[in-house]
Amino acid sequence: MNILSLLIFIPVLFALVIAVLPSAWRHSFKFIALGATLVQLGLAVWIYCNFKTGAAFAGVNHEEQFQFIQKLPWINLDLGTLGKMQIDYFVGIDGLSIALLVMSSAVLVVAALASWEIKSNLKGFFVLFLILDMAVIGVFCALDFFLFYIFYELMLLPLYFLIGMWGGARREYAAIKFFLYTLFGSVFMLLVMIGLYLSVTDPATGRHTFNMIQMMNPANYQPGSVFAVVSQQSILGFSARSVGFIVLFIAFAIKVPLVPLHTWLPDAHVEAPTPVSIILAGVLLKVGGYGIIRIAVGIFPEIAHTGAYWLGLLGVISIIYGALNALSQHDLKRMIAYSSVSHMGFVLLGIASMTTEGLSGAVMQMVSHGFLSTMLFFLAGVVYNRVHDRGITHFRGLTTIMPKYAAFVIVAFFASLGLPGFSAFIGEAFSLTGAFKSASVNGNLPHWMAICGSVGILLSAAYFLWTLQRMFFGSLNLKGGSVWKSALTDLNFREKLTLMPLAFIALILGIMPSLVFDKINESVITFINFLQVK
Amino acid sequence: MDFLQAIDTLTIKFTLAAVLLPLLAFAVNIFFPAKGSKVSGWMSTAAILFSCALSVFVFAKVWDTNHLVHQKVLWFTIGDTKVYAGVLLNNLSVLMLLLVNLIALPVHIYSLAYMRGDAGYSRYFAYLSLFCFSMLALVVVDNLVLFYMSWELVGFSSYLLIGFWFTRHKAVQANKKAFIMNRIGDIGLLAAILLLFSAYHTFDIDSLFGRNTPAALNPAAQLPVIWQYAAFAGVFLAVAAKSAQFPLHTWLPDAMEGPTSVSALIHAATMVAAGVFLLGRVYPMFNDAELTFLAVAGCFTAFMAATIALTQNDLKRILAYSTISQLGYMVMAMGVGAYSSSLFHLVTHAFFKCLLFLVAGIVIHQMAHIRDDNKLDIDPQNIQNMGGLRKKMPLTFITALVGGLALTGLPLTSGYLSKDGILIQAFEWSEHKSRALMLVPVFAVIATWLTAFYVIRLIVKVFFGKFRLAEQYSALYLHISDGGWLYKAPLVFLAICSLFPLFSFNPVGYEQSWLYTGMSYPGKTAEAGFIHFIVPVCVNIFSLLVIYGAYTIYGKRKLSPFSQNSALWQLSFNEWYIDAFYKKYVVKPVIVLGRSTFWFDRRAIDGFIHALGKLAIAASKTAAWIDKFIIDGFLHTIADAVHAIGNFARRFQGGKVQYYLYSMLVVILAVFIFLLFKY
Repeated sequence: MNILSLLIFIPVLFALVIAVLPSAWRHSFKFIALGATLVQLGLAVWIYCNFKTGAAFAGVNHEEQFQFIQKLPWINLDLGTLGKMQIDYFVGIDGLSIALLVMSSAVLVVAALASWEIKSNLKGFFVLFLILDMAVIGVFCALDFFLFYIFYELMLLPLYFLIGMWGGARREYAAIKFFLYTLFGSVFMLLVMIGLYLSVTDPATGRHTFNMIQMMNPANYQPGSVFAVVSQQSILGFSARSVGFIVLFIAFAIKVPLVPLHTWLPDAHVEAPTPVSIILAGVLLKVGGYGIIRIAVGIFPEIAHTGAYWLGLLGVISIIYGALNALSQHDLKRMIAYSSVSHMGFVLLGIASMTTEGLSGAVMQMVSHGFLSTMLFFLAGVVYNRVHDRGITHFRGLTTIMPKYAAFVIVAFFASLGLPGFSAFIGEAFSLTGAFKSASVNGNLPHWMAICGSVGILLSAAYFLWTLQRMFFGSLNLKGGSVWKSALTDLNFREKLTLMPLAFIALILGIMPSLVFDKINESVITFINFLQVK
Repeated sequence: MDFLQAIDTLTIKFTLAAVLLPLLAFAVNIFFPAKGSKVSGWMSTAAILFSCALSVFVFAKVWDTNHLVHQKVLWFTIGDTKVYAGVLLNNLSVLMLLLVNLIALPVHIYSLAYMRGDAGYSRYFAYLSLFCFSMLALVVVDNLVLFYMSWELVGFSSYLLIGFWFTRHKAVQANKKAFIMNRIGDIGLLAAILLLFSAYHTFDIDSLFGRNTPAALNPAAQLPVIWQYAAFAGVFLAVAAKSAQFPLHTWLPDAMEGPTSVSALIHAATMVAAGVFLLGRVYPMFNDAELTFLAVAGCFTAFMAATIALTQNDLKRILAYSTISQLGYMVMAMGVGAYSSSLFHLVTHAFFKCLLFLVAGIVIHQMAHIRDDNKLDIDPQNIQNMGGLRKKMPLTFITALVGGLALTGLPLTSGYLSKDGILIQAFEWSEHKSRALMLVPVFAVIATWLTAFYVIRLIVKVFFGKFRLAEQYSALYLHISDGGWLYKAPLVFLAICSLFPLFSFNPVGYEQSWLYTGMSYPGKTAEAGFIHFIVPVCVNIFSLLVIYGAYTIYGKRKLSPFSQNSALWQLSFNEWYIDAFYKKYVVKPVIVLGRSTFWFDRRAIDGFIHALGKLAIAASKTAAWIDKFIIDGFLHTIADAVHAIGNFARRFQGGKVQYYLYSMLVVILAVFIFLLFKY
């Protein structure tokens, strides 16, 4: 059994177990789900340790260099004159996916631990949770576009129900908004996917293929096909490949999310229960970033190159705009949601720079944000679960009654605002390094963009410290008075157990970033070289 | 060669130990807080004591040997860029290493007494150790990434310590302000570092700003002009934020909300000097225009802060503005090419300013005692309440006097050696410059006289005359003294360090000082001349006059030359309205901007989305209507028509023969008529 397939489908097995168990055993469901994620994390760590590095394992556009590959023919239809349809079950990882894969497995464990707060309809919740788990892991492993698309769409369904059924007061609005936004992107992605399928042939079999790695090689495009590299086709007067890139980019940009396609995010986060917020911020946003790197930029590199200026601009706008919005929030979760928008802007800036530093910084920023946003949402959940209120101005001087909680909040806030020694600093600093360097290497981004990006670091200090000052410092003053005061107990064992490793990981990645960089360097260099060939 | 290498390795190991010991103390104090005991205090103090001893050793090994100790290991590789971590020891770094430790040690000892009984005793020492670690790391690291990391960690520990009493609203306002203003400098530094990196592909301080390469050929001087200036602007922002230079100085007076021992260590002696240290590290990258800018900016800050210090009544605030002013001298000195005098002043200032703050701490502590003992509602930091304390606290008074005279820069003190050096070189520099730049040394000298004035005002108001509180409240219970040896020893030590013998055997010749010669910058030759004699003489004679004047005004209360309603007095008292300006024109607009982007989010973007949603619903309703009334309507019409025709035709099938015959007749008749008319 291939370990990646095992990693992907283990949650489904556990989900089946939960589904057949009688509801009377519902108190065991959370442990089963936790067990599933822990097994998964164990496998992910094993994969991480056995992941080979070196030029021979760079991956990216060399199919044979991917690791832990499993390739099975899946759907093979003879379409008569239309040729043969070839869809493979094809999974494998390289440096671009390994870090995100391991990070996601860890985040899912935390999400499972955060699910303790769920009290109603446990069977439904955990079954959906585990299906979602399978889908997000599958997305990072899939190398066949069709398979990728299936996993990608499969994420939507459980999330819709998880937000819509277990969410807050406006959950239905948030769920439908989220669903439609994302669906809007992916429907058009489907068209591009089919177009690519019809354009690309597998040189070995001569059939059309959904293989993403084959799609990266311009020689595999049939002359005269829609997305052929040499003979430029046009759609409605625009270059077909540009249209293809833009459509894919928008689909993933909605997930990232980039301003102005981001408004589903604050609503979804505010309404979603804590575990779902964690998965949303920790993993789902990274699917967007990953998709932009591997699919949008990877398949249409020359378009990405000409459009890099606009990508960078969108990144900078997201950084500043998200930060300004975060500054004006009164709801803790919404503030964190907007900070996510701001932080993910650095990812795009790094990608747009198309330098090794920028891309590595972007991946690092995604990994770091995965852990830190998880921590932030978990912390927001702590106070919400106790008093069912998240208004920043409704609390004051929380440090006096919850010192341990405050300590973790301080760590999480400072780590998120890019304090050196924590992972976010490395991610942001090197995304910016790439942006600064880009002007002299490939001229993608002007210097001013990089400088504007660094203003985001300043603003992030402003909104985090302001929140800290308003909620945690000063003399104790709670909106709910003494009722709240007795309800606001300090962290319990489970919460400390969850937060401690997260804080530790953020610290260790900040001090030893080589834990990530060593695994991804070769792939990043190969990817950048691949972009430059075009 | 191997032998030398081994010695270097040993030196590096000692340096690392000196840097990491406080970190260890921090970790132990934060993870295993000793509740209710004094273990944590002694732990941090012991850590700093050992690191002090180690730094003395390192200093002796490296100082003036003309040998650069530089070792590094690979930290991580990103893409194809290798980032190293290493230690770079030259005269500048070992001097700072020793200085930070020498200041931190007395402050630690003092804190043992000062923080006794505070609920956050362990936390305090943990933070203090964290600060020492980051500051020590800052001065020895060999590349700009690590430099930036320690630079920001220093700011972070300062944030923690300013807001140490986190239940005080003012303290948490102040620490937020300090961190955010420092962040402005941080992004400047980051931008400068990244600009340099994108041009030279290295973060290594030695290869970027090495002394071995002549300044003109230094790679950092080869940037395209505009980016050279951008990098300079970034560095200047960093310096202005950390070293509290105009326009980013306003956080420092507010930072006085922290414990006074913290103000002494961080906000007077060490952290705020980091900006000047940075200038020293990257000095070769500046061109002439940039140096001139530094000189003007520093001179302006020195003058402005000195004018503000004249009218403040808060003991610590006066000292804070005095710190800003002195830092302005250092920056100005860098600008006029008095590189070694600038760093010399950094060192002497660290000692006497730390001393003055520790004195202020004792005075405030005693005033707070009086307030608590007598249940008064007074501000223990307000110098209007003090007076005559010299009799109650003689040692404090004497050391304060030493510190104050050193700050003024009178002969026999260390301040004289360093400050007059700066003034002399400023005059020398201005000789080769345009007329307008003559104002730089002139204003620097005026600021010196202002310094003399506010120092004497402070000392007289605190230590001379009669105790004002006793005048207001009779039957005041007074129980004040210098305090125990934990208070006294640091004062005495720092007072001795504020006198000339530590630095030079010649009390009037700064050029003979070991520190001056050790830091001298290659390519700079001292010009002996008229200025060397006339400047110190004139400055000091006039200073003495100012001192006498101030003493008559405040000591004997004979004259009151200043109207509190005059515009100048108001300008000074309100700190040049700079904070008010920032609040109105920077902070508010940013918040308004944030609100308007949120409004845009809600109204414009979401509005658009909602409009789309409504459009879709409207379209679907239209479709439903069309379905119902047009498509279905058409079908229904057809069906109805068929139905009606059927109904009509049904009546013909009545089953009666007469009807059939009758209808046949009608049909035939109709056909006949039709044919008749047709043809």
